Amino acid sequence: MKMTNSNFATFKKKKELRRVISLLFLFLLTFPFVFGQSQKIIVTGIVSDENGPIPGVNVFIKGTTNGTITDMNGFYSIPVTDNKTILEYSFIGYKTDEEIVGDRTKIDVVLSPDNQSLEEVIVTGYGTNKRKNLTSAVAQIDDKAIVTTQATSIAQKLSGKVAGLNIRQNTGEPGSYNNSINIRGFGQPIFVIDGIIRNNAAEFQRLNSEDIESITVLKDASAAIYGINAANGVIIVTTKSGKKGKVSFSYNGVVGFSSPTDVPEMANAVHYLEMRNDANIFAGLGPFISREELDKWREGIPGYESVDWYDATFNNNSFRQEHNISATGGSEKVQYHVNLGFVDDGSILKSKDLNYNRFNFRSNLTAKLTKNFTTHVRISGFSDKKESPYADGGQFFSIWRGSVSSLPVHSIYANNNSDYLNRVTDGQSINPVALQQKDLTGYARTQNQIIQTSFDLVYDAPFLKGLQFKILGSYDQTHNYNKFVRKDFKLFDYDEVNDKYLSTKYNYPPGISDYRNYDYNFTFQGHARYKKTFNEKHNLGAFFVYEVRERKRQYASINKYYDFFTNDQLDYAIQRDQVTGGNTVHERFISYIGRINYDYLGKYLIEFTTRYDGSYRYDPSERWGLFPVVSGGWRISEESFIKDNLSWLSNLKLRASWGITGQDAGAPFQYIPGFSVSGGGWWAFENNVITNGVSPPALVNKDLTWMESKTIDLGIDIGLFNNKFSFVADVYKRDRTGLLATRLVTLPNTFGGVMPQENLNSDRVKGIELSFAYNDNIGLFNFSLSGNVNFSRSMNLDVEEAEFQSSWDKYRRGQSDRLQGAVWMYNEIGQFQNYEDVLHSPIQDGSLGNAKEFPGDFKYEDLNGDGVIDGNDIKPMTFDQNPRTYYGLTFACNWKGIDLNVLFQGAGSFSARYTHVYTTMFWLESNLPEYFYNRWHKEDPYDENSEWVPGKWPASRRQPDVGMLYAESDVWRRNATYLRFKNLELGYTIPKRITQKGGLDKVRLFVNGNNLYTWTDPFLKPFDPESNTSPIGLGTGWTYPIMRTFNIGLNVNF
Amino acid sequence: MKKYNILFIVILFLSGCSKEFLDLEPTNKISANDLFATEDGIKAYMANLYYRAPVEDFNWAANPYGGGPFNFTGNIAGMYPIVWTDEAVNSEYDDIQLYGPWAFMGWWEHAYKLNKDINMLFSVIPDLDIDNEKKQLLYGEAYFLRAYNYFGLAKMYGGVPIITKIPDLNTQEELYVPRSTEKETWDFILATCDSAVINLDDGDGTKRRANKWIALALKSRAALHAASLAKYWDKAPLSGEAVDKKLVGGMTNEDAQRYYKACIDASYEIIKTGKFSLYGANPANPDEAATNYFHMFAYPDDAAEEVLFIRDYVTKEYGHMYQDWGQPNQTKGTWPHPGRFNPILDFVDAFESYSNPGHSSPIITTTDGNYSNYSGYNPSRNYLEFDNPLDIFADKDARLKASVILPMATFKGKSIIIQGGIIKTDGTPVIEAAGEETIDGITYHSFGSANPSLVSGFYPVIGTRSGFLIRKYLQEDFEPIYPPVAACVNDWIEFRYGEVLLNYMESVVESGQGDVSKAEEYLNDLRHRAGHTTNISLTLENVLRERRIELAFENKRIWDLTRRREYHKVFDNTYRHSLVPVLDLRTMKYLFVRSRVSRTHAWSYPTQWYYKIIPGISSNNLIQNPQY
Repeated sequence: MKMTNSNFATFKKKKELRRVISLLFLFLLTFPFVFGQSQKIIVTGIVSDENGPIPGVNVFIKGTTNGTITDMNGFYSIPVTDNKTILEYSFIGYKTDEEIVGDRTKIDVVLSPDNQSLEEVIVTGYGTNKRKNLTSAVAQIDDKAIVTTQATSIAQKLSGKVAGLNIRQNTGEPGSYNNSINIRGFGQPIFVIDGIIRNNAAEFQRLNSEDIESITVLKDASAAIYGINAANGVIIVTTKSGKKGKVSFSYNGVVGFSSPTDVPEMANAVHYLEMRNDANIFAGLGPFISREELDKWREGIPGYESVDWYDATFNNNSFRQEHNISATGGSEKVQYHVNLGFVDDGSILKSKDLNYNRFNFRSNLTAKLTKNFTTHVRISGFSDKKESPYADGGQFFSIWRGSVSSLPVHSIYANNNSDYLNRVTDGQSINPVALQQKDLTGYARTQNQIIQTSFDLVYDAPFLKGLQFKILGSYDQTHNYNKFVRKDFKLFDYDEVNDKYLSTKYNYPPGISDYRNYDYNFTFQGHARYKKTFNEKHNLGAFFVYEVRERKRQYASINKYYDFFTNDQLDYAIQRDQVTGGNTVHERFISYIGRINYDYLGKYLIEFTTRYDGSYRYDPSERWGLFPVVSGGWRISEESFIKDNLSWLSNLKLRASWGITGQDAGAPFQYIPGFSVSGGGWWAFENNVITNGVSPPALVNKDLTWMESKTIDLGIDIGLFNNKFSFVADVYKRDRTGLLATRLVTLPNTFGGVMPQENLNSDRVKGIELSFAYNDNIGLFNFSLSGNVNFSRSMNLDVEEAEFQSSWDKYRRGQSDRLQGAVWMYNEIGQFQNYEDVLHSPIQDGSLGNAKEFPGDFKYEDLNGDGVIDGNDIKPMTFDQNPRTYYGLTFACNWKGIDLNVLFQGAGSFSARYTHVYTTMFWLESNLPEYFYNRWHKEDPYDENSEWVPGKWPASRRQPDVGMLYAESDVWRRNATYLRFKNLELGYTIPKRITQKGGLDKVRLFVNGNNLYTWTDPFLKPFDPESNTSPIGLGTGWTYPIMRTFNIGLNVNF
Repeated sequence: MKKYNILFIVILFLSGCSKEFLDLEPTNKISANDLFATEDGIKAYMANLYYRAPVEDFNWAANPYGGGPFNFTGNIAGMYPIVWTDEAVNSEYDDIQLYGPWAFMGWWEHAYKLNKDINMLFSVIPDLDIDNEKKQLLYGEAYFLRAYNYFGLAKMYGGVPIITKIPDLNTQEELYVPRSTEKETWDFILATCDSAVINLDDGDGTKRRANKWIALALKSRAALHAASLAKYWDKAPLSGEAVDKKLVGGMTNEDAQRYYKACIDASYEIIKTGKFSLYGANPANPDEAATNYFHMFAYPDDAAEEVLFIRDYVTKEYGHMYQDWGQPNQTKGTWPHPGRFNPILDFVDAFESYSNPGHSSPIITTTDGNYSNYSGYNPSRNYLEFDNPLDIFADKDARLKASVILPMATFKGKSIIIQGGIIKTDGTPVIEAAGEETIDGITYHSFGSANPSLVSGFYPVIGTRSGFLIRKYLQEDFEPIYPPVAACVNDWIEFRYGEVLLNYMESVVESGQGDVSKAEEYLNDLRHRAGHTTNISLTLENVLRERRIELAFENKRIWDLTRRREYHKVFDNTYRHSLVPVLDLRTMKYLFVRSRVSRTHAWSYPTQWYYKIIPGISSNNLIQNPQY
């Protein structure tokens, strides 16, 4: 292997460090006052970590069972026989350290935390296991690693940190929680919080990170223990519980400032007018603006000033803050953890009328009731509120659209009189300065309140050691409350001739809407669990769980109008024309879950899991499903031939898992025929009286059932040099069968029936996942470097398709056995250089010939050589907007009280295409991005016969006047692969001796930056490739931008 | 041990209650028994059938981008059927090719789904617990809807599979029904109309649910369509298997005569009852004629004597967008896309003038009277100049100003400014381009104002580019409000007495059957209602011109061009034309320039489009229409 320069540099540095350390030793040796005896030596010292002394650390003489543990102050004392003795310091969650005694009698040790410790307890489905005994693909991340990123959503805090947990932030809008959470390319997982299944990503994302002990991701068939719905994997959250000891309080606070990572630049007035004028002339119309008028804009004389609508609408920064206070402690009998958190996210709107806040609370209580009974009582909840201006529809995008669409030649105020907001309605938008004001347009408010409670009772059977029973009940209540208050407002036109302001009413009639949703979830579980070791060789564990779940949902909506706006209360709106709605949902599930695991000397591991799941959704005959999993592992490193010969190989494990999971599919009750009152049209048989139609039933499908996924995973875990270096690799495959489709082929389209959904299609996801970690220390300098990458591809297997007309038709439209998400595009081969070129190139505009093509327009490859560019000339050239590769790289280190954490994160194998304003010139008469200014144009724009001046982009024209300019090609659809400097946190813990004087156990200050820099295609950079191109189902890019945030924070423990 | 037992029992107990626990009842389904047990339930079922009948109304927009084709309330940029014909252009788009065969793909499956649900109605009627009279009416409605639906199919696809019961899924013959010939299909439609007429009653004045008269009006329309096809289908020859097997075309002159007769008889049955008459039949003057004619379409319920069948729009949640798209820019309210329907000059030219009855009266703009020159403003020609732009239309048929907003016409109390240019004092023309000149401190802008909000013409997108805007169907008291979309609630007249008269006279003049003198009387009745005082004779030319004017924008033109096989002649490398009002600053008077509509191209209509492509032929085993 070649050594790169940087490697070589670190190598050299290390060498130097070692030399320094050796010199220090020599120095110590030359000091004779230390001691002289050599018989029986007592070694003492203090074991600590970055935060101070650790009690309970094992200190052993290596190769013996002789040892001691550290006391409350981290102090230990151990007799040793000679100076060649090696002392071993070990503690769960920390890397084991070894010290040769030498001539020392006082050895202070700093242990560094070890996230990859084999002894670490990992939360798995309905239980826990030690990392070394795992046989499936499971990742766990603890609280410390989560909180290094500052964000309101938990999902954001996990981004880039866990192999195979793929997170994409779709928008930066406060309180939107619009993150895609996807495990290994499978799709959105289910979320299990403290043992209770919750299908809602929104709940998960709103968890307070300060409450979280750990998050575990089940990535393979091991998820099947959660049965139907677990096919995409499971995210398990374990919250903090109390610890014995005196109460310890902690306060964490962060304040931050955010600004967009980038925003697209729109044309200024002069550039806009020049391009707009071109467009008129190229369309065969006269000039759009006379030379004289244009010159006035160039000079910017009063009345001719360019308006920057973005600056008029938005501030440069927004402010956010987050505060948490918690108390943990307890006696022998009762332990508690309580926490109260508050987040407040502001926006960049000038009006500041878009904002979000959230309160979280949690109380986790553990009580030992009697010798054999323990109970856990967990109560938690949150209440949050997002408020934004109503604008013209209750959504942010219209404000953003206004800021990019409005023409720079239009003024904010009519006649520049600030009493009259100008009626600017360019590109489907309305004056954004007006829209962003709550006082003017009303507001949209979303509130959520959730209370989650769970109670369990654990009974350790005294008559049989290792046998345990548990019952658990949980009740969650969710209230969602959305309110829209639409106020009418006026915009003005200035009538110069009569010196009058003409008003137009918007948002008229004013109205108020109220949407209320109540969700109740009930879960009951009964557990029986047994664990035993026979002959010190055979380790056996087994458990059985019975689970019942029920969900009820009630939804109601009210929409009312005002004759004139009074206030934002329902009863002040009029009764006439009110529209109401509502529905209820009722769901029930029953499950039986069993697991047996066995290992022989920790070397050969095997585990069976089965879940038998029943869902209300399907016909009684199709209701019950059995979801088995089997997994096994072989810890080769435990074999003597490795242990004795390759001591540097501290861990080598091969593991494999296979299992079946289910996934809820289709609308419920498809086995019952029935007419529906929705979707049936309407008719007025009498004047102005509507009769709502009922829609006839689709054909009944009694065979509908869940989709079934077979997942297989092969993995290898490697640990080297006492697990300083660890490496995990997995290959996996998931085949789903029974995906929903409606039949196309079996019945002719003259039959006229609405076909039911059936379990017809199948697909496959395949992937590779790699992660590594390196942990080490150089003296007091501890550092770790870890990275992960996940590649996945999904493909269709069987797809219900109509018969193809020809092999061409099949090539063009076929979906079976194809990779998913391929985008068919024209192959752009350059720009027309002149009219000759246009004339002699293949025809692009169908029956119009090339009449709408201009020099500078894009030309495409004539794939089939027929002289015509049409639908037969496209080919699959790129992937769609969903990333297929995710990667992350974390570096963390600490030295004395200083800690640093750096995270890079990114995604690849995907594309982005923007539409509307961002890639269309004068989309619906709106402004256009500045990049278009570098364009083909005439030397003298007013003279049709002057020479062309080439540019990067085509000649300016309005959308109806262009030919194939906007066809799908790599001109517009760009590879959106990116790498982002996601996170940097630098902290300093004030030495304890100082803080203790103030009665504080720990004080840490930190600065933190998020989304600091992004490497990607420069064309996409202004839009931020991570954000979603389609906030309203189109590629508009009218999204609240992704933000770059700078935070300062404080952690105090006392 | 005791506690252990208790826990164990609790778990076992809960495990035991599983089976019933999962048996939930759906909260959103109604069984067939419950639905058809009550008259309200039956009515709800009927509402769904009526809703899906192919009424070519404000929400008819065969949309190639998906959605549609009828009951379509999405955004298709105002590309309604009137802009696929020689009636109007869209202010922004030039895609007459949207009216390609693919735009109608969606009709097919909609139609057969509706067919199945009509067949279901036929199958449940015998068992309904209602008296026989009501059963008979339900049969009548079922036949009416079936005829309506197959009429929708036949005019698009020619001969189609005729399926009158719900097929048994296991019987191949019932499932895979081949196409009938076109002739068999039309015969089936007319026979089904007859069944409807027999079963339906007088209707007691209802305009919103099928009755005998509505069924007859349907027959009148369908028979005329069939007759014209039988007579003219070979004017646009097609070839292929579908032609050879007479699945399209293949009808003879005898068929034509038979269908014309059917039209004459059905129409006359409506006429002779005397229940119906023309609304505002005897106006005092052309102004009153215009007011009446305009009023009928804005408020159909006020014209009960003429209206047979109405599709009623009621609430903003279930409305349409027609008035929004049609609205002049100056009265657009908060709606962002006004003025999309621009009637073209060729259509305006077709109107008669009162001084020259019986002839189209093209707009004369120059002293030489040459109206075939569309090459734009030419200073060497002598243009007629007018103080008020409306003066140039003064003598035209009242239906022009009732159907079209003319330059500077008053609408909703506003003068609708449609100006396309100025001639500067030095003689420089600035036409369809930005320009201004200041005279005595007053700045004259080429489009009438420097502020686009204050005018309705020739500014790109928001203004008309033909010089005209639509007026028919726009209510003076309607204010466009956006959002919501589709908030227009004016009603659509699907059948009216005027059309019945036109069907009658066309059949008479085409076939020589029926009563010529009555037909001529009806022709002049319609003209009289429009303010004409001079009678003209019954000629094919007069009848067709009258039909084009009287039924303008009623979505009939598209089928008139189709059934008479005139589409490919009207659109044969054809440009559409505009009339540009220009203010001459030298005289402060208006002149008019006849031009090609700017930013449009010449279009041709391919003859295979007369029959649309049939979707799904690989699985329904049908023979495809020619040349697809």
